[in-house]
Amino acid sequence: MSAPCQWVRSVLTAWLDGELKPSTAEAVRRHLAECEACRAHLNLLRESWRLLDEAPPAPVPAEFTERMMARIVEEKELSRFAARLRPHERRRKVLASVAGIAAGLLLGIAVYGWTGLATKPVSPVEDEVSRHVSFLEDVDLLDEIAVIQAMDRPDEGPADTTDGA
Amino acid sequence: MAKAIAVSAGSYEQAGRRGAAADYDVSLMLRFQKGEEMAFQELVQRNHARVIGLVYRFISDASDAEDLAQEVFLRIYRARHSYKPTAKFSTWMFRITANVSLNALRSRANRKDDVSIDQVTDFGDGPRALPDHDTKMPDHDLHQAELEEKVREAVSELPEKQQVAVVLNKYEGMSYAEIAQTIGCSTMAVKSLLARARDNLKDRLLLYIRTGRGRQRVT
Repeated sequence: MSAPCQWVRSVLTAWLDGELKPSTAEAVRRHLAECEACRAHLNLLRESWRLLDEAPPAPVPAEFTERMMARIVEEKELSRFAARLRPHERRRKVLASVAGIAAGLLLGIAVYGWTGLATKPVSPVEDEVSRHVSFLEDVDLLDEIAVIQAMDRPDEGPADTTDGA
Repeated sequence: MAKAIAVSAGSYEQAGRRGAAADYDVSLMLRFQKGEEMAFQELVQRNHARVIGLVYRFISDASDAEDLAQEVFLRIYRARHSYKPTAKFSTWMFRITANVSLNALRSRANRKDDVSIDQVTDFGDGPRALPDHDTKMPDHDLHQAELEEKVREAVSELPEKQQVAVVLNKYEGMSYAEIAQTIGCSTMAVKSLLARARDNLKDRLLLYIRTGRGRQRVT
């Protein structure tokens, strides 16, 4: 496509709508008089635009204004209702916020207490005791009892504490 | 994401103020703003056909068009305290109308995307889902119905801004400057939007031009 054809096609819609300056419109008209391809393009644009008239307009309901005004009445009632609700709503929101803050505080205290105990610093004495406790946890108490009982009966000697397998 | 059409400030607003001064609807809106409810009723009475007509061009469903037109007037009603007569009343009203219509189209598109597998398999019975034009409609009616459908489809498949520009230009007879004011862009941008839109429409309706099916009423 030649440069003049490209230019004309880019402004054809505006030309059809009468939206070009007179001098530009005249240049388009002169080109169209000479160029069959652009005239064909123009016809397609024109015809497709006219086809849009085939889509029928909307049916307009006769009672629209009455229905609209009835909806406005509903809207006003809703606004009034909302206005009446508003103070209660505000109070409810304040209460909810206070309850939320209180719950948050309680949760915070509980979590701090729990993690605080778990990581509580240990004194040297407690440390010593806990080491013994962990040693004692490793001792089989039943074995120890059997040894002590055997020692109480000197003629028998220490009993075999293992299972009789 | 919903993008509302917004009027930009500056030259459009100045041009709008000039139009607003001689606009009876603006005076009705100002009277309504001062508490005169009858002025709002008159606004509805004077403009509802245009609003319904415009919504219908986007939505293509008469019942939905009425509901959405009510939504438009409801927004006007709610905006009475913030309304400023910076433009022609129709410019403002059509901007609201375009926004309400495009929002509805977006919701529809989302609902379509949300169709479940169960709903899809419900259509598995086949032919009952298709309109039986051939047995019920005479040839002329069939062609006309098909043509109307194709025309609506061609417009609805345009990108949103092109669609709005086409509807305002074609069905409301708005100039490029008025469209620019309504959708908040420059006149040059409208020129470009309409050029692309008309090119798209030409391509989409080509079959109906060439076969002459659209020529019954196109002379």
